[in-house]
Amino acid sequence: MFAKLKKKLAEEAATAPRTGIRMPRSYSKESITSVGADSGDDFASDGSSSRDDLSSQILRRNDQIRKLEAKLSDYAEQLRLMQKTKDKLEIALEKHQDSSMRKLQDQNETHQASRAKMAEDMALALQKKDQEWMERMSILEQEKTSLSLRVDEMMEQSLSLFQKRDDLDELEGFQQQELAKVKHMLLRKEEQLSQREGELQQKEAELKMAKKALAEAQEKLRTLGVAHEERCRINADLELEREELLEDREEAEKKITELEERGQNLQKVIQQVSEDFEKSQRATAAAETCLRSLQTEHNALKLQQHKAAVTDEDKERVLLDLQEKVSSLERRLQGNLSEDQLLQELLNEKTSVEQKLEDTRVELLEARTSHADTVSSLEAQISRINKNVTELQTLLRHKDDSSKSYRERTDAQITGLEQQLQENNDRLKDTEKKITDKQSNLEKLQAEWSVEKERLEQQVSTERQQAQEMVGQLKEELTAIQTDRQTEHASARARMMELEEESACLQREREESDLALRRQAETLEQARSELSSRQTVSVEIAMALEDTRRQKEELQLQVGEMTTSLQSTSEELTQVTQQLKQREEELYTLHHELQSTQSALSQLEEEAGRLREQDKDGQLATLRQELLSQAEQLDACQSRVSELEVEVETLTLQLQTPEVCETDQNGIVTVDDLDDMQKVNRDLEQQLGEKNKTIKQLQQRLAELKRTLQKELKLKPETEPEGRERALDGRGERQDRPDRIFSDPSPATGLAPGPNTTVTNTSDLNDSREINFEYLKHVVLKFMSSREAEAYQLIKAVSVLLNFSREEEDMLKQTLEYKMSWFGSKPSPKGIVRPSVSGAPAHWS
Amino acid sequence: MGGWFSSLFSGLFGTREMRILILGLDGAGKTTILYRLQVGEVVTTIPTIGFNVETVTYKNLKFQVWDLGGQTSIRPYWRCYYSNTDAVIYVVDSSDRDRMGISKSELVAMLEEEELKKAILVVFANKQDMEQAMTPAEVANSLGLPALKDRKWQIFKTSATKGTGLDEAMEWLVEALKSRQ
Repeated sequence: MFAKLKKKLAEEAATAPRTGIRMPRSYSKESITSVGADSGDDFASDGSSSRDDLSSQILRRNDQIRKLEAKLSDYAEQLRLMQKTKDKLEIALEKHQDSSMRKLQDQNETHQASRAKMAEDMALALQKKDQEWMERMSILEQEKTSLSLRVDEMMEQSLSLFQKRDDLDELEGFQQQELAKVKHMLLRKEEQLSQREGELQQKEAELKMAKKALAEAQEKLRTLGVAHEERCRINADLELEREELLEDREEAEKKITELEERGQNLQKVIQQVSEDFEKSQRATAAAETCLRSLQTEHNALKLQQHKAAVTDEDKERVLLDLQEKVSSLERRLQGNLSEDQLLQELLNEKTSVEQKLEDTRVELLEARTSHADTVSSLEAQISRINKNVTELQTLLRHKDDSSKSYRERTDAQITGLEQQLQENNDRLKDTEKKITDKQSNLEKLQAEWSVEKERLEQQVSTERQQAQEMVGQLKEELTAIQTDRQTEHASARARMMELEEESACLQREREESDLALRRQAETLEQARSELSSRQTVSVEIAMALEDTRRQKEELQLQVGEMTTSLQSTSEELTQVTQQLKQREEELYTLHHELQSTQSALSQLEEEAGRLREQDKDGQLATLRQELLSQAEQLDACQSRVSELEVEVETLTLQLQTPEVCETDQNGIVTVDDLDDMQKVNRDLEQQLGEKNKTIKQLQQRLAELKRTLQKELKLKPETEPEGRERALDGRGERQDRPDRIFSDPSPATGLAPGPNTTVTNTSDLNDSREINFEYLKHVVLKFMSSREAEAYQLIKAVSVLLNFSREEEDMLKQTLEYKMSWFGSKPSPKGIVRPSVSGAPAHWS
Repeated sequence: MGGWFSSLFSGLFGTREMRILILGLDGAGKTTILYRLQVGEVVTTIPTIGFNVETVTYKNLKFQVWDLGGQTSIRPYWRCYYSNTDAVIYVVDSSDRDRMGISKSELVAMLEEEELKKAILVVFANKQDMEQAMTPAEVANSLGLPALKDRKWQIFKTSATKGTGLDEAMEWLVEALKSRQ
């Protein structure tokens, strides 16, 4: 009712000065300043001018002054007008005040009447309320006890949760230890492997050595073979020599045979010579016989000669006989025939006989000559033969000599030959011996060689065997090592597999537990958000209650003021108010308890956040039930508060009614009272405003407390800013969808680091490096808008495009990884100390 | 830690997303293939400056398919995406005989990357609907695929606009990826 009046007054006040006064004032101000500025300019410009100019300036100034005076008169008029309007307004105000006074009086009367009524009603209602409150109190106490029990349970659960968490940490530690062990084992295995490899290499080296030895042996063998070949060659040479020697021998034999043959020939020659000698002897004998025969013949011939001489003498006597016969015949002839023809015939016969005689004579002579010839020839022959014989004898002698010499010579030759032969034989023997020696030597050498060869072969074979054995051993070792390695590998793999399985199991368990945790955290979050809403509601209620209390107090004060007129009612009222106070105190205490329980609950929630086990849902259900019951309680409180408010209103009405009564009783209600009332009202309104402010502050504090609670619950201090922003921005929304704040902080946070990091690195972007800007834009846009999984793939591209350093890239990666996973802690950027968590960590570490 | 964790996590909760890169020269039809695989429709594309990434589900296998822009200036950035890649789909314009050499050199350079040593290679001899298109064997020879060692690869003739050959190729790829696991 006063507000309206005030508003009206304010409107009038606002409209009146605006209408016509402000505009000209503003105008004038501008004009003055502008004029002043002009003059100043003029003065400045005309400072150096003459007195004429000054006079003109003065004139101008006068004009200006005149203008200003006119303006001033205008202002005076305006002021006068203002004064008039002011008077009018004052009159109107007085009127208005009167009317309002009247109205107020009426209202006051009605109010007092209503207050009297209300006081009565309130008394009744207060009694009722008292009872109700008592009941409520008992109920609340029960609830409190139950809640305290719950709190204890929650504490236990929280403890168990801590234990669980510790267990989990331990498990993680174990897992890491196990992993470390596995790694250690792997390393050891690798070391073993390397050792084995080293052994293998050693073996290989040995093998190589063996191979080298084998090669050496083979080389030896080859050299031996070469030696063997040489020996063979020597042997062949020797054989050749032998053959040569044999040939020599054969030749020698041949020579011997030849010599023998020659000896034989010589013997033959000797025999021939002897034969010849014999022959010659025989010839000499024959020649001697011949000589003898020739001598005999000579003798015979001499005889013949003698005979021929005798015959010749005979012939000559025959002749002479014949000549005598002839002469006789002739003498006959000459005597016979005619004696002349007989003589002639006798003469002829004589002549023929003479001739014949002559012939005979000649013949004889011839014979004699021939005989003499023959004798001479024979004698010559004989002499010749004798000569011959002598010659032959000399020849024979010669021959004998020669034969002797020859024989000697041949003997000597033979002896020489024999000696030669013997020598040859000796040589042969020697050579044979040599050959035999050589053969034996060769045999020996061959034997040796064969022995050596055998030995070497044996050696080689043994070496080969050894090598093969070694190779076999090495192979075996190798296979063994390989099998070892394989088995080790297999075992290691098996171990690895087991460990992996184990780790996978652990991970699975962890996942499951994490899931459960997450679910419970979500449910808890929901519950908590519900609770927080309830808290806010309760806080509001409490505030309202406080307000009401204060109002009540004030009312009580009012009632105290009214007591002079309303003693009976005031007493009752004071009682009632006292009771109310008590109630309020109780309520306050209850509220405190509620707050404490809420804090405990929040703690419990924290603890419950760690509770991931099976009974969580049940607990949550119970929590929800509790929360529901609390909400119900809160609702009840609210309803009560509203009821109380209603009661208060009724009481005020009642109080007003008594006032009315009072007016009735006292007759006059002073304007002072009304003013007091108004003051009180205003105070109350101010108080209400203050209360509202305090309520807001309290709500803010509550929100902060909630945030800290979230922080502690999540162990994610970095989400706080977003959460705070959210909390500040969408407090209204929170009550509508409180679960979103916890369940998906990612959309808000997902964008946050991207711009931050890009901003810090844009300085690098401006360097000379040519980057397809559109491409960069696209990639960055995608990076910021895509899912974490895709964004993770884009880190590298972004890093390359924006020339990130490795640390920056890693930081980005870690941040994204952290976002993708539900757990773990946010990687703190360098140089920033992670804010410490207050309170709780003492339990956890 | 986180990557390992997430991989284990994904191993526990369903199949892991296979990471596939679609590479090839500009205008080979990579983006068309990607969206043909994802939505089964031919979309009108503009030259990709940057990349497209889509999740394609094929035979209960989830693929995170990255289609990287193939323009010459942004080809060097391919290597930023190579890590953790399970398979590479190399798309070749079968009708573009002139740039087959460039395509080959890009492919060879890509296959030499250490990060792609274990990746399966699927070559799409794309644009088989064109008249002057080379046969898959010709494409394989001109890319030098028969000389590849230690690489599981296969070539398929495809037409992204007609949608032919993609199913066979993806089936092979799925089998190859399954057998590799």
